[in-house]
Amino acid sequence: MNCAEFQEFLPEGFEGGQTVEQESHLRSCPMCSGLVADLELITREARQLQETAEPSPRVWNYIEITLRQEGIIREPHLGPALVPARPQRWHMAWLAPVAALVLVAFGIVVYQRGSSDSRLAAHLDTTAPSLVAIAPTSPKPSNLNNKNEDDQLLAAVASRSPAMQAQYASNLQNVNAYIKDAEESAQANPNDEEAQQIVMDAYEQRATVYEMALDRSLP
Amino acid sequence: MTDARKLQGDKLSEAEAIERAKQGDAEAFQLLYGLHKRRVYSLCLRMTANTAEAEDLTQEAFLQLFRKIATFRGESAFSTWLHRMAVNVVLMQLRKKSLPVVPLEETLENEEEAPKKELGAQDPVLSGSIDRLRLQNAVDALPPGYRRIFVLHDVEGYEHNEIAAMVGCSIGNSKSQLHKARMKLRESLKTSRAEKAAKP
Repeated sequence: MNCAEFQEFLPEGFEGGQTVEQESHLRSCPMCSGLVADLELITREARQLQETAEPSPRVWNYIEITLRQEGIIREPHLGPALVPARPQRWHMAWLAPVAALVLVAFGIVVYQRGSSDSRLAAHLDTTAPSLVAIAPTSPKPSNLNNKNEDDQLLAAVASRSPAMQAQYASNLQNVNAYIKDAEESAQANPNDEEAQQIVMDAYEQRATVYEMALDRSLP
Repeated sequence: MTDARKLQGDKLSEAEAIERAKQGDAEAFQLLYGLHKRRVYSLCLRMTANTAEAEDLTQEAFLQLFRKIATFRGESAFSTWLHRMAVNVVLMQLRKKSLPVVPLEETLENEEEAPKKELGAQDPVLSGSIDRLRLQNAVDALPPGYRRIFVLHDVEGYEHNEIAAMVGCSIGNSKSQLHKARMKLRESLKTSRAEKAAKP
């Protein structure tokens, strides 16, 4: 048997048994035995690659948000208790619209009273960011508006659960990037209903982040 | 100590976490994710050689798993179930990307991609061990068809008959592509070792 014949056999027989002829060639041929040794080394070392990399926290954030939206996660985290048990868990489906309505009503009252009511302004300045004031707005392409809301939310989280602030800052950054991508895609394809739906989904994710933040950081 | 044992020693076994996840317990989902995220993500990353795609596929694999966790009866190991699901998600994605469908044999038998035979040539061997980063880079640089078979067989430990069923090729084809992948890796590793040695 020569080298060419031996190497023709390799794909089929590398992991299986060898014939006496093949074994004899392997013992007598440094090139083929070197090749087999290398292939064995590569096969052995390949297992090193099984758990080499760590996904970014964004992956779990997205999974958690999606599981909550789909109702697969049905109760709050049981980890370190940041929130005392409450009789009923707030539900995202009505939190955002209700908060938005209250926000609108509150805005009308403030507008009607005008700037002359300095007592209200003074009160707002000294009060910690409230649930009403930091509820996320409905879908609209306004990054500045989003940023103001996010800043208020993060301030509220920081005042109540400082350890959680960085995590929520990261969550908001991710979801805002998602919204931006979705809006750009929707603008580029104004007749694409799926693209519009993705924008709505992105804003729902943002509302969920708000709900989680408020849920966990409220005293 | 493995993550699973640590988990067991501390408070919750994987089996308990699975049962709690079936009830919608958020902490249980997070524990299961923590136990398996590296293996699943590494699989996705090796198969795609792209971090963004790998993260998307990891998300998709875990979401599919968690959506179906209520149907898990424990006949097979949870990790086996999860990894098979991850492999299916990745392969499905790769199939979508490579549309229109080209027969596997055709894509993999590309002569330019095939490693060159060196019969009779001076042939230094790879001795000792292989640096993980170099091996990782070499695997990432493999043509997608070779990489797919190599990762499934040599990294993940699937048998040729399983790979043939998952990928949709013959067992002989799986063996042939695996051999070509290893040969190509050998060339690549020898080249990178020579380049490293040549540096002052």
